[in-house]
Amino acid sequence: MREGAFFRGLARENPLLVYLLGLCPALAVSDLVSKALGLGAGVILVLLAAVAAARLLRPVIPERLQPLVWLVLVAALVSLVDLAMQAWLPALRQQLGVYLQLLAVNCLILGLVERLARRRSLSRCLRLAAGQGAGFTLALLLIALVREVLGSGTITLFPFGSFGGVIRIPGLSLHPARAVSLAAGALLVLGYLVALAGRLKAGRRRAEQRSAG
Amino acid sequence: MSFVGIIFTAVFVNNVVLYQLLGLCPLFAAAGSRRSALGLGLAVSLVLALTAPAVWALQHLVLVPLRLAYLQTLAFVLLIAGIFQLVRLAGLVLARLAPAAHRALGVHLPLAAVNCVVLGSCLLLVPGLSSAGRSAIAGLSAGAGFLIASVVLASIQARLRSEWVPEAMRGLPITLVSAALMALGFLAFDRVLLAKLFG
Amino acid sequence: MRSGGAFALEQFPAPHLHEGTTTAGMMFSVVLCLLPAGLWGVLLFGPRALYVLAVSVGTSLLTELAVSGLFLRRFTLGDGSALLTGLLLGYSLPPAVPLFIPAVASFFAIAVIKLTFGGLGRNWMNPALGARVFVMFSWTGPMTRWAAPLAAADALSGATPLGLVKEALAHPVHGVRGPIELLLAGLHPAGLKAGFFPDLLQRLGRLTPAGYGQLALGTMAGCIGEGSAFLLALGSVYLFVKKIIAWEIPAAYLGSFSLLAWAFGGLPFGTGLFRGDVAFHLLSGGLALGALYMAADPVTSPLRRPGRILFGLGCGGLTFLLRTWGSQPEGVALAVILMNMLVPLLNRIGARPAAEVKK
Repeated sequence: MREGAFFRGLARENPLLVYLLGLCPALAVSDLVSKALGLGAGVILVLLAAVAAARLLRPVIPERLQPLVWLVLVAALVSLVDLAMQAWLPALRQQLGVYLQLLAVNCLILGLVERLARRRSLSRCLRLAAGQGAGFTLALLLIALVREVLGSGTITLFPFGSFGGVIRIPGLSLHPARAVSLAAGALLVLGYLVALAGRLKAGRRRAEQRSAG
Repeated sequence: MSFVGIIFTAVFVNNVVLYQLLGLCPLFAAAGSRRSALGLGLAVSLVLALTAPAVWALQHLVLVPLRLAYLQTLAFVLLIAGIFQLVRLAGLVLARLAPAAHRALGVHLPLAAVNCVVLGSCLLLVPGLSSAGRSAIAGLSAGAGFLIASVVLASIQARLRSEWVPEAMRGLPITLVSAALMALGFLAFDRVLLAKLFG
Repeated sequence: MRSGGAFALEQFPAPHLHEGTTTAGMMFSVVLCLLPAGLWGVLLFGPRALYVLAVSVGTSLLTELAVSGLFLRRFTLGDGSALLTGLLLGYSLPPAVPLFIPAVASFFAIAVIKLTFGGLGRNWMNPALGARVFVMFSWTGPMTRWAAPLAAADALSGATPLGLVKEALAHPVHGVRGPIELLLAGLHPAGLKAGFFPDLLQRLGRLTPAGYGQLALGTMAGCIGEGSAFLLALGSVYLFVKKIIAWEIPAAYLGSFSLLAWAFGGLPFGTGLFRGDVAFHLLSGGLALGALYMAADPVTSPLRRPGRILFGLGCGGLTFLLRTWGSQPEGVALAVILMNMLVPLLNRIGARPAAEVKK
């Protein structure tokens, strides 16, 4: 089964749970599902734009200056996304706070830009970037679901029409385990999810070895 | 807020790692040994002590008066990158003059400079402070908080033997759980304590 | 992973234990010494307390069985540590607490704080105390709802002695020179049940200095096992004699705490230095339970004397700090787990390379 460039980033090479990239802003915004989705969307946007721009610019920029230029590029793009969010989604922007701005030095984004700028096929680059971004968002969503359900007994999405945006889980929303919404909970949930991901990976490797040998 | 209050807040109440959840990547990299944790912590403290006042000056003397606040992210990143270059040069000089110190400290300087701790701390601390001097103290304290978390975590990890830990949890997962338990303990330090102790 | 079968009964004698004492024997001794205090708690607070203890112990045994069996491939119930953890945890909970809390706390203590790190002897944080902190911050409301002991109706009183004092000190106090005065002024005892036991207690209470007697007997609102400092101390004598608990930690803990309480305890009341009410502080809250049974847990405390003394001093200092100026009325649990973090560093003090535990 050949895995497409996009799908690789979702599971097998999930940037957050497998390679542990881009941890910093991730944990801090994973206490609400809406924040996780918001940051994830930001990551995908910045990633796609940065990868495309870097690929186009690479021929004209001397090798030694490239890291600096990528840094400026990503920072500029993050600023654009930041401003756009302030204009159209101010509440979300307020909640994300500095963690949106921290995408400017996010190791996932910078690392990917550095790597993919060298490739020749633009469409492949974009698919890889999209996959990584989607994988990151998916992992972040998973963490946020666990943390918000256990820690506040709710699932906070975006208001749409008559839907207020907050789903309350019966039972849990009366007595949620608030510690899970705190920093300790974030580290704990991530720890067990990474362990789970590792277990799945090891299991798959064993299955492959068995079928190969 | 008094100086002591600033220090206590930055080190304990709003601990960079255990409250703001920043600097996790380098932290877990350094959790392998107490020495590297110490080196990294000192490097981060040094960089923050230099960067915070510079960033404060940038924010309050340039960006705000000139109504360029929307350039904050870009400006901060550039300034930090610039300071990083200076620090790197200083590291090279240090390597020539004092190789031992460079090995202990300088090796970590690049990693320390360009990561979320520095940018994150600057973004969080600087807007609320009233002078460059206070920013320097706050930055140093934030770095100290990172150092404390880093060294304690490394010492805890050294106590664990890899053959004891269940296989799935080995490596990063158990480090994360240890950090989670540390964060639980640090909940003792909150604003109420700060207010009652330092007014 | 030991060879010899997936389900081998294992013991983990830590290097610092007495020769000839098995781990299980130790654990059961501690449990026995704790029983009087727990019995007292059940007598004071009624069957509710018994349910909490039962859920706490039951969940911890079940969790140990299930998680250890499934993930670690070992049966470790025989070593008695899960029983002890469950009991200690139950003792540090309020009697009126909804029963899901001891269940979650026990699970957290065993599965997360203990077994995730490999099981007995391998955890660095005290499981009962860590779980208590987790549950305290997760469900603060239910964890601070107190029941008056032996109350006629199912009355919920306002607060524990420490809680009362902390609340009162939040507003400026006039003319009150110490916590006992505050206590006596603020207490509104609900009508006590009629009966032999309550009468006996009232009589005993009248024999002793007002306030202190009630604190010592534990006839005030509080956690299930914390009421009688006297019974806890009594039980611990056996443990000291048998060298199951190292004396340095409780001594340093209680010593430093007493000193600080004496020196600075009067400050919130405006009576100046060296006027603190030491007896009040020693008798109230979880100090006796924490200092005598939890802080000295050999797994999560330093190995050598210098480290132990520092550990005890740190616990005492932090407990006083948090009790006096912190946001929670009680500081024992947080103080001890903060010191637990420093144990690996404390173990480096006075360590010689040959004496290091081999990898």
